[in-house]
Amino acid sequence: MSERKHTSAVAAIVIARLRIQRRLLLWCCAADTLVGCIQPHGIVTTSDPLAARLAAHSVWLAGPVFFCSLLGIAVALAQRGDEGLRQLEMCEQSAPLFGRERARASALVPCIMATVAAFAYWLAQYISGFAAPPVFFSVALAAVLAATLVALSATLRQKSARWFYVLLAFGSATIVYFFAVYFGAPGLAIGFLFCGGVSLIALRQYGEALARYDPIPRVTHEY
Amino acid sequence: MLRMQKAEFVRNTERLAGPLDLELAEGARLALTFPTAREASIVAMMAAAVVKATTGNVFIEEFDPRIQPTQCKRSVGYVPHEIPSFVFSSFERYIEYRAALWSLDPERAVAHAKLLLEQLPGIHESFAYPLAGALIASPRMLVLERPQSVYAKQIFDVAGNCATFSTHISAREAAAFA
Repeated sequence: MSERKHTSAVAAIVIARLRIQRRLLLWCCAADTLVGCIQPHGIVTTSDPLAARLAAHSVWLAGPVFFCSLLGIAVALAQRGDEGLRQLEMCEQSAPLFGRERARASALVPCIMATVAAFAYWLAQYISGFAAPPVFFSVALAAVLAATLVALSATLRQKSARWFYVLLAFGSATIVYFFAVYFGAPGLAIGFLFCGGVSLIALRQYGEALARYDPIPRVTHEY
Repeated sequence: MLRMQKAEFVRNTERLAGPLDLELAEGARLALTFPTAREASIVAMMAAAVVKATTGNVFIEEFDPRIQPTQCKRSVGYVPHEIPSFVFSSFERYIEYRAALWSLDPERAVAHAKLLLEQLPGIHESFAYPLAGALIASPRMLVLERPQSVYAKQIFDVAGNCATFSTHISAREAAAFA
């Protein structure tokens, strides 16, 4: 009974937030599709197997990891500040929900958006004839989700702390790229583990920060 | 129902609201005037357990919002002031959304909300909808942030025995809710 109640509250928050941000989601998908189509697809001809492997891995991963992570960070930052979202947030804040429930629901929204956009990127790559193999795309998607979750904490911070979290988010995606490109199969495994750890810590920290967060009105002409 | 003891809200060493000492009995009314809209907003949010007091104490039905926020929020219906546009496609969708957050039966909540809305003729939907939404969970206290005095009678009629706490920026507006 209790679990059912929580599920429906989370679902209501996710659906309402996705509905408001559907235009942003479309823009992200369009941007990812465009970049997925026009990104360089060729690999330099080389007789060195190591250089060939690095070139292939970097072409498969650079676009999805860096561009999709940037979009994921942008989507995460867009979760707070919009007037419509503020209206929803005030409703969520006044509802008898725990911080962790609100955190889960509000983190799910940018994750869904980032995932859909990343799939749009992969589809564009597939259509243009140079899609990354599923395992590489999976590690890219994991990096995007980790970056998105880290960037969510930036929405609850001000000034330099906000930029610190944005850099941390992009840094985490860069680390995954580094492991996946330069360390072969073990690097992919390390990348997955790293993303899992970062995502869990980021989500937990976001939940704690959200529970302490006071949504006081911004200083405007009226205030 | 509501008790504040030297409650204040401070951010970055700047005191934004308080210190406040007040007590609101069950079913009673209290309207306070503040010098700025921001302070009125923060105090309303403290009374609704949306914002926690930095120092001092706030008790809602003897629950402390810092320790038992969900219990506090079950007792309070909060109607914010800043509602620039309605983000839901219909009133029913909005009530279903609120019903999910308060774990209420959606069909009953919509029926209840429609009855409440019928008692609020002439009130602009940007205020009437959140008011009806706040009352579907049958709260014991209604917290109104800068409500308009022209709606005072209708609000009290629809709130029934619910205690009301309102914050204002003019004494004339506050007098209508006292």
